[in-house]
Order: sequence, then structure tokens, then C-alpha cells
Amino acid sequence: MTSTMPSWWEKSRPFVWGMALVLIAASLWALLNAPVEAQMGIVQKIVYIHVPSAITTLVAFALTFAASILYLLTRSKIWDSIAASACEVEMVIATIVLVSGPLWARSAWNTWWTWEPRLTSFLILWILYGGYHVVRASVSAASRPTISSVLGIVLFVNLPIVWKSVEWWRGSLHPRSVSMTGDMRQVLLLSIAAWLVFFVAVWQERLRLERLRDEVESGGGTR
Amino acid sequence: MIALLVLAKDLKLHARDARFLATLALFALSLVLILSVAFGPLFQDPTREASATLWAALFFAGVLGLTRALDLETESGGGEALRLAGADPFLVYAGKAAANFLLLAALFVLLLPCAAVFFDVGSLSVAPGVAGVAALALIGYAAWGTLFAALARGLKARELLLSILLFPTLIPLWIGAVKLTRSLWAEGSIDPVRDWVKIMIVVDSMGIALAAWLYESIQEAEE
Amino acid sequence: MILAARDIRKRFEDRIVLRGASLELHPGEIVLLGGRNGSGKTTFARILATSLGPDAGTVTLDGRPVRQALRESRRSIGFSTHRPLLYLGLTPLENLEFFGKLAGVADAGSRATQLLSSFGLEEFAGTGMEHFSRGMLQRVSLSRALLPEPRVLVLDEPYAGLDEQGTQTLNALLLEAKGRGAATLLVSHDRERVPPGITRVCALRDGAIEAAG
Repeated sequence: MTSTMPSWWEKSRPFVWGMALVLIAASLWALLNAPVEAQMGIVQKIVYIHVPSAITTLVAFALTFAASILYLLTRSKIWDSIAASACEVEMVIATIVLVSGPLWARSAWNTWWTWEPRLTSFLILWILYGGYHVVRASVSAASRPTISSVLGIVLFVNLPIVWKSVEWWRGSLHPRSVSMTGDMRQVLLLSIAAWLVFFVAVWQERLRLERLRDEVESGGGTR
Repeated sequence: MIALLVLAKDLKLHARDARFLATLALFALSLVLILSVAFGPLFQDPTREASATLWAALFFAGVLGLTRALDLETESGGGEALRLAGADPFLVYAGKAAANFLLLAALFVLLLPCAAVFFDVGSLSVAPGVAGVAALALIGYAAWGTLFAALARGLKARELLLSILLFPTLIPLWIGAVKLTRSLWAEGSIDPVRDWVKIMIVVDSMGIALAAWLYESIQEAEE
Repeated sequence: MILAARDIRKRFEDRIVLRGASLELHPGEIVLLGGRNGSGKTTFARILATSLGPDAGTVTLDGRPVRQALRESRRSIGFSTHRPLLYLGLTPLENLEFFGKLAGVADAGSRATQLLSSFGLEEFAGTGMEHFSRGMLQRVSLSRALLPEPRVLVLDEPYAGLDEQGTQTLNALLLEAKGRGAATLLVSHDRERVPPGITRVCALRDGAIEAAG
């Protein structure tokens, strides 16, 4: 029953940070130099933040989901730490999605909020995962891993249904997929890569903190 | 049969909880009143406003009912004795969920005529249809509600947490319920919106399936 | 040997309560477990009764770890503790019948009436329990634990709130259980009230169990 991350994980941290910083710098440069979109002007560039952060959020939720299942199967606390730390980082990223969305919507459709499916689904998820953290903070240390894992599974499983429902409920104003060509596409892909690696970097740190806190709570021993 | 034993036990407990039931009924009625006032006095779109009022009131009153059912279990350790009796957790869950369903159904039977009368909508001919919609929605509510309530047992802000977790999860059910009810009242049939029935069935099944998988884990999590 | 606890360790937040507590219960035994307040007796009793999981160590029933067959194991164990473990909204008879039927007892109703009578509660059998005294609740709770005649009894401070009559009834029932081969763990610091048939006396000290005089 492993309770520490494997050594390659720890060793990779500086590399991941290095890569993250390089990618961020590169994507920022690319973003600033990307062709300005005809209709929307410079505000359109928010998409290079909005889309990658949305994708990262979903990847992170999937991570929480997988780790939650693994905790229930193995009862090894490392999985609970992985799930919770991923979830926390991605709450922050989800917030960025929810802020950048309306900013873009304002200039694209002249309204802050339109109840369009993706944004609404994201809001719902944000509330749900906010609840995850509140519950996690409220339960006893002994039941925390189990309860969190159950929530991690239940909430993720809901994702597709909530998404579909909101889509049905409100026809989609949101572009079906961001179709871009040439230069813009490159910038977008670069941004996505940067965000994902950045997420991993921050998540590693958060995971480290979570493991340390867990150790302190269980009295200095790892089980 | 264990589920029936648990169901009968829960119904007995609720039946003797007259003071709470009366308070709950009054609370639900005040919700309907508040919403009617908010929409009124001249209703722009009575069938839609009535439907929205009915289901909104039902949701919030339902959370209180679920929390109360939970409290009756944990009060003097009856639920603990139930757990230690060695009965199949899923059967126990089924009994509890069935009892919760009946409680919610009673609330529905109370609120339906109120909404119909206040907004002057509905007719007996569509009553069976409306009952069917209610059954679909409330099965899901009971299934998910019983699951989340077990998760939140022992937490101080139970009702709040339950609302936070339940509402986003049940959004597909609620959109469906409101649309289907409204369609029945306005057009006498569910044809324009019958797709929602499918989504509601999926949500209901998902809740029950997740409970079958996870209820035991939740039950065994230390308090 | 029916129920055995081996090397049980348990800690809560910042306190280590049990450090390697071990105990074996054999058929026909009544084991008395004493110890100072806060020594971890209740925690140990709960772990034995599968109400709580240990951090380390195993509890076995008939040689099989209870965690592997939780439901089955629980059906063989009767547990009572400080909390009544009852539904206050139901009458004593309804409570006992409910738990009895759950345990598969065929004549739960008559067994329930019998037990309530023995404890002098027959006139309250059909009354709501909201206004029951501590002692009355305790008697109903003990009846609940004893009704299915389980092979193992784990009773945590069963004499709390009991008067002379109640104590005598409980002791008679415990000797009855002993007679049919059940194993009983009595957690109590009330040495004067325990039944004469105690087979062993132990104490929980510093998180472990020692045989006492």
C-alpha cells in the first residue's frame, strides 16, 4: 500500500515547472502576436484563455474521478490526496473559465450571461465541486477519504447528463467547436499545452502539501 | 422483506412526527405563496409560472423532509443499530428511498392543487399525466436525496449541503418536470417535450445504480 | 474461540487510544473488561462489535476476519452501549420487533414481549419512548441486543441506569446466554453488580489489555 508518490514523480517537479514556464511564455508571446480576429477584435483573444482552461478543468475532473474510484478500490490514502488536490486546483481554473466566458460573451453577443449550455453546465459543476470541498472540510478525518471519493465519483458521473440537459434546454449559442485555421489554431494548441502542463505543475505542489498535511494529521507516520 | 420492514418503520416514524409534518406543509405552502406573489398578480404565462412555482417549492420543502428523515435515523442511534444488524445495505437504502419517495409524493399532492388553484391552470383530464411526471421526478429525487443525505449525516449544515449537492445534480429532472407539467397544462400532452422523459429516466436509473454501488461505502464511513 | 481481536490499534485525531489490544472470547465465557475512564474501553468494544474499524489489527469471528463478511458477522453479535441505539419515535415493542425481524427471528413479537416483561416494562411496551428515563431506555436497548440470542454479546456499561431489579434481570439473562454457549464481553467498572458466573477479568491499561486479578 503505497503512501508516497514514486520517486520519479518527485524528481520530475523541477522539469514540469520548467516546461510550464517555457510553454506559458511561448503561448503568451504567441497570443500577443496572433492575428487579430476581424469581427471581435482583440477581445477574441480571451478564447486562448477560456478554451484551454475549460479543457484543463475537464481533464482535472476526470483525474479526480479516476483517483476516487482507485481510492475506494485500494483504500490507499494517496489516491484521496490525488483526487482532492486535483479538485482544488481545478476549482481555481474553473473560476477562470467562468470569468473569461462572460467577458468573451459580452463582446461576442453583447450580453454577460446567456444561459448557453456550456457555461451553464460549468457553473453547475463549479457549485457542485464547491460543495465537494465544503463537505470535505466538514467531515471527520476518518471518513473524509471515503466521503470525498463517493462525491468525486457521483459528481463526475453527472457531468454528461447535466451537460446534455442544459444543451437541450437552451439551444446552443456557444460555438459547437472552436474552429480555427492556421496561425490561430497553433496559438490555441500551444495555449492548451501550456495550461495542461501548468496545471500539472501546480497540482504537484498542491499534492505535496496535501501529503504533508495528511502526515501531520496522522501523527508523523505514513501508512 | 428487509426493504419493506425499513419502509414500514420509516413511515411509522414520519406518521408520528405530526408537528414536523404540519410545519413542513406550512413551509411548502408559504413557498408557493411567495412565488405566486412574485409572479403575480396578473400572470403573464400561467401554465409556466404555475409549473415553476410547484417544482421550486417542492424542491426546497423536499430537502427539509429528507433532512428530517435523516435526523430520525441518527437521533438516538437507531440507524447505527440498523447498520449493525447486518442487513443488506442496498435493501436498507431501497426501504429508506421508498419512504422518502412517499413523503415527497405527499408534499406533491398537497402543493399541486394549490398551484392549480392559485394560477388557475390544469384540469382533471391531465391529472394522470401530471402524476406520471411527478413519479418520474420524485423517484429520482428520492434516489439521489437518500444517497446524499447518508453522505451528509452528522454534518452541521446538512440542509444547506444537501441543497448545494442536490439541486445541480437534479437540474435535468427539474427542467424536465417543469417542461412536462407545463406542456400538460398548456397543451394537454407531452409530445413537444417528450424527449425529457428519456433524460429523467436516465437520471433516475443513474441514482439507483450509484446507490447500489456506493451506499455501503457511505454507510461504513466513520462519523 | 468465537470472537478474537488481535493487536488492535486506534487513534483519534491526536490521541492514540489503543496500542495493540488483544482479546479472545470463547463459548460460554463472560469476560469482564475494566479500566479507568477514558482508557479506551468503549472504543475497543465498538471495534469488537464492528461498529468502528481499527487502524491496524484484525477482529476475527470463527477465525474469519469480520471485514470480509461484515453482514454475516454482525448477525452473530449483539451490541449495547451508552447510546440507546433505538428509534425513539417507535414503541419498545415496535423497536424490538423491527430489529428482531431484521435478524430473522421467527417469533420476534413474543420474544420481545417476554424480554420486556422480564425487565418489568410490560405496561410500557406500547408507549412512545420520548419520555422514557435513562434506565428504561437502557432496558429496552439491552432487550434489543439480547433478543436474537446472538452467539456473541458485547455490552458496554450495561448496568448504567439500572436499578436492583434491572441488574438482577440482566444477570439472569447473561447466565442464560452463557448456558447456551454464547461468549460475552462485559465492559464495566461496576464490579459489585456483575453476575457470579464471570470467567475472566481483564483491564485496559495504556491502550492494551492485561489480565487482572
